[in-house]
This record gives sequence, structure tokens and C-alpha cells, in this order.
Amino acid sequence: MSDDFDDFDEYEHKVLYVQTHGRDTPERSATPFFLATAAAAMDCQVSIYFTMNGPQLLAKGAPETIVVPKAGGGGKELRFFIDQAIDMGVRLLVCQPSLDLHGYTMDDMIDGVEMIGGAAFNGMALEADAVISF
Amino acid sequence: MSETFQADKVLDCSGMLCPVPVVKTSKAIKQIEVGQVLKMIATDPGAPPDMVAWAKNTRHELLDSHQEGDKFIFFLRRVR
Repeated sequence: MSDDFDDFDEYEHKVLYVQTHGRDTPERSATPFFLATAAAAMDCQVSIYFTMNGPQLLAKGAPETIVVPKAGGGGKELRFFIDQAIDMGVRLLVCQPSLDLHGYTMDDMIDGVEMIGGAAFNGMALEADAVISF
Repeated sequence: MSETFQADKVLDCSGMLCPVPVVKTSKAIKQIEVGQVLKMIATDPGAPPDMVAWAKNTRHELLDSHQEGDKFIFFLRRVR
């Protein structure tokens, strides 16, 4: 990925998460961000690929309205978990067909989201040390 | 238990839950010099296995890990 490999980078692990769930299952929304953040803190290169219903979580306005539930009530806005992941350098990726599925364009996505295609996704999966799908 | 390591920086993550202690540890270790020691305090019961995994993957050295009451204490040396 990076051209300037140093002694450390060549050992750096790559983890790719796949999020297929959207706003109808808020209890499934935060964990990929959570784990991705922890992996980034372990100095891994981390991306989350949002496909199927996943892009719903990244639509403008959604992170502030999706509340990650907690037993006994309350909970945190999904925005908190997204910001934590972005802050740690986690890349957030979507693909065109899964945007089309929901009538989204890239303009509907929150800041920081990148577009990739199916070939790029498969390339990343083949290159990753772990692919974890939700 | 007595502290056998001199800390150059102390990070108190008491009351914080996963993944916040690892995130804060990752940031704090970058704020000390190579060879210096970070003392991290956590109450999250997931912290002991997390810090073992974190140190293994980042190759920073986990010098000591022990419990004092409800607190888990870690001494980590920045290696690179």
C-alpha cells in the first residue's frame, strides 16, 4: 500500500471488515467500528467495507439518529463510534451498486467515505491478513 | 504489589471500556520516547488480555501486568 516501507511497515497487518447491516438493526451497527478502532490502535491497517445495507449507516444524518442500544435503556449515538474509528485512521469504503440499491450518491455520504469497486474490494481481501464479515 | 518500574508517563483509563483503553494507550505510547515506560491503569476486565494482544502486535514491551484491588496496572516500554 505505502511506497515508503520501513522496518516496521513490512510486518504491519491488514484487517478488512465487511458491514452488511443497516439502520434497521442498530444493535449490529457499532461492533465493526469498535473492532476496527481496536485493530487500528494495534497499528494494523484497517478498512471497513459497507455493502448491502451497510451504506445506510454512513448516510448524512444517520450517525446522529442511530442510537446503539444498551441493556436497560440509553446508549450512544453511532456518530461516536464512527468518529473514534476515523480518528484512528480507519478507512470507510462503499461500492456503487450498494449505493444504487438505496438511491444514494456519494453526496449523500458523510465526510471521509471513499468509493471503491468490486475488483478493488477483492484485491484488498486477497491482500489482507484477515477479512471479518458482519 | 510493589511497582518495580519507573513510569515516564501515567495514563489512567479507569472507568473506560473497550476499545478506549487501547486507543488511549496507542496514542500515549507515541508521546513518550523510545525506551521510556508508560504506566496504564484500567478497570475494564477485558484490559489484561487486550494489553497482551496489543503489545504482541505493536511489539512494544509489556514489562508487567498486575492487579491492585479493582484496578489493572500495566507497565509498557516503547520499543520503536
